[in-house]
Amino acid sequence: MIINGVTIDETFAEAFPMRGTRVIITAQNLEWAMNSAQAFTGFATSVIACGCEAGIERTLEPHETPDGRPGVACLIFAMGGKGLAKQVETRAGQCVLTSPTSALFSGLPMDQEEKEIPLGKNLRFFGDGYQISKMIDGKRYWRIPVMDGEFLAEETTGIRASVGGGNFLILAESQPQALAACEAAIREMRKLPNVIMPFPGGVVRSGSKVGSKYKALNASTNDAFCPTLKGQTKTELSPEVESVMEIVIDGLTEDDINKAMRTGIQAACELGAENGIRRISAGNYGGKLGPFHFHLQEIMA
Amino acid sequence: MSELILTLKSAPAQRVDCSPLTVDKLEGKNIKDIAALTLVVGNQKLRVDELFDIDGDDPAVMRFENATDKLDHIGHGMTTGTITVNGNAGAYLGQFMMGGEIIVNGNTGIYTACEMKKGFIKVNGNAGDFVGAARIGYKNGMTGGTVVISGNTGARTGDHMRRGMILIEGNAGDYCGSRMVSGTIAVLGQVGAHLGYAMKRGTLLLQQPPKNGISANFNDCGSHTLAFLPLMFASFKKLDSKFAKLEPFSRVQRYAGDLSGIGMGEILVKI
Repeated sequence: MIINGVTIDETFAEAFPMRGTRVIITAQNLEWAMNSAQAFTGFATSVIACGCEAGIERTLEPHETPDGRPGVACLIFAMGGKGLAKQVETRAGQCVLTSPTSALFSGLPMDQEEKEIPLGKNLRFFGDGYQISKMIDGKRYWRIPVMDGEFLAEETTGIRASVGGGNFLILAESQPQALAACEAAIREMRKLPNVIMPFPGGVVRSGSKVGSKYKALNASTNDAFCPTLKGQTKTELSPEVESVMEIVIDGLTEDDINKAMRTGIQAACELGAENGIRRISAGNYGGKLGPFHFHLQEIMA
Repeated sequence: MSELILTLKSAPAQRVDCSPLTVDKLEGKNIKDIAALTLVVGNQKLRVDELFDIDGDDPAVMRFENATDKLDHIGHGMTTGTITVNGNAGAYLGQFMMGGEIIVNGNTGIYTACEMKKGFIKVNGNAGDFVGAARIGYKNGMTGGTVVISGNTGARTGDHMRRGMILIEGNAGDYCGSRMVSGTIAVLGQVGAHLGYAMKRGTLLLQQPPKNGISANFNDCGSHTLAFLPLMFASFKKLDSKFAKLEPFSRVQRYAGDLSGIGMGEILVKI
């Protein structure tokens, strides 16, 4: 399969089940909502060392938020419900509670099959007895007195069985060309709901393989896709490929990832062979580890 | 199935316990069964058809016509369905209510929504004393649901109230929010003396400053913009009430009390 001179490999991205939730952070203005959201989703590129993967989904107009102020929707994913709860709680406590004028709301209603996780439920103890609970429309909110006034947080947020680790690789003739294609892909993918690309700017340059020659490490550089090792290892790269970059996608459903991959690959392919984009591939572990397989050629069909 | 209509034949001299007349207790009964039910009236028992003309057969949508303030315990412990009362209702309207809706086109007696748990009550008229309160000797008043009074309420509105909302479009009587444990009472009109007497927690939201002033047991915490108020006003939007049309405000003067107790309650006055 070739789109605009770009070869789409006959391979698939292998993804894993995760648990995810959406939170809405509002503030006096978008700038301060964003300050809080960036801290909340900071250091959350990969579950390997961050404990979760998180990102900003989109900004919200005042009429879209529960309290009628500008806001930011964040998605956060972890390997299990407990891990997710811990990450949400510590991040909300250190990055939202602390942020001036902020308020924190659930962005996902409760799912009958899944338990809810705490949002303001435990943060309330920061109020040292002065916290006030309010039931509004069947939802409990906590009013926690803080130095700039009151921090308002919804008690819990719903979680969903989600999909993490959807990905594709862009193989290009040069580093600037690979990055340009990634930027184009990310620009389009950020317009889609229910997905985040957790790496810095949405792009990761250090894709990994499972295992390492060093016993202490369980993942190491994906040498088959390292252009400098073309003559040194069993390479996946043809002579003209000089740089490879990856886009990783976490989404609330399999379908959301499908759409995001299609949109991203489409945008990269639009630059085409004339801009040095040669191939689109994907990362997998032979299909043994993750139950979700995203076949590139099926997605682009 | 058509709306079950109970039309009072003549105003009873004694109080009538209407608690058997809810959808939960009438489910599956035909009009004959309903007619044969007995109600406690004063010190005797009377058949339903001795008191009411009965029409229709769907207890989930029930209507009392010609109702008087002698009809007590309407909607007692109901979990679902709708009851409309045309005329006045007596004491304990919606006591122990766990769901559904009661609309009264008239006034209600004492203990409206007594120990109510869930559901919705709208009184298009005035309500007596102890709206949403606990029974005498009991510690927990209303624990959920919403009560809207389009007129005025009597004394001790929300006595021992724990959760839920009482919205008063008119005035509230003396001791509004007395011994309140939590929950919200909002008043568009005036409030009587001793506002929030022995209040523990909860919120009294006032549209206008109380003419009797704030008691010495409440301390001024200053003026604030509170983030939960817009959310609360948004939740009023779906109500058939003046509260739905209220211009939302979040600027309030906050008074904390009752400081003779734990002092965690608040009176919020619009500024």
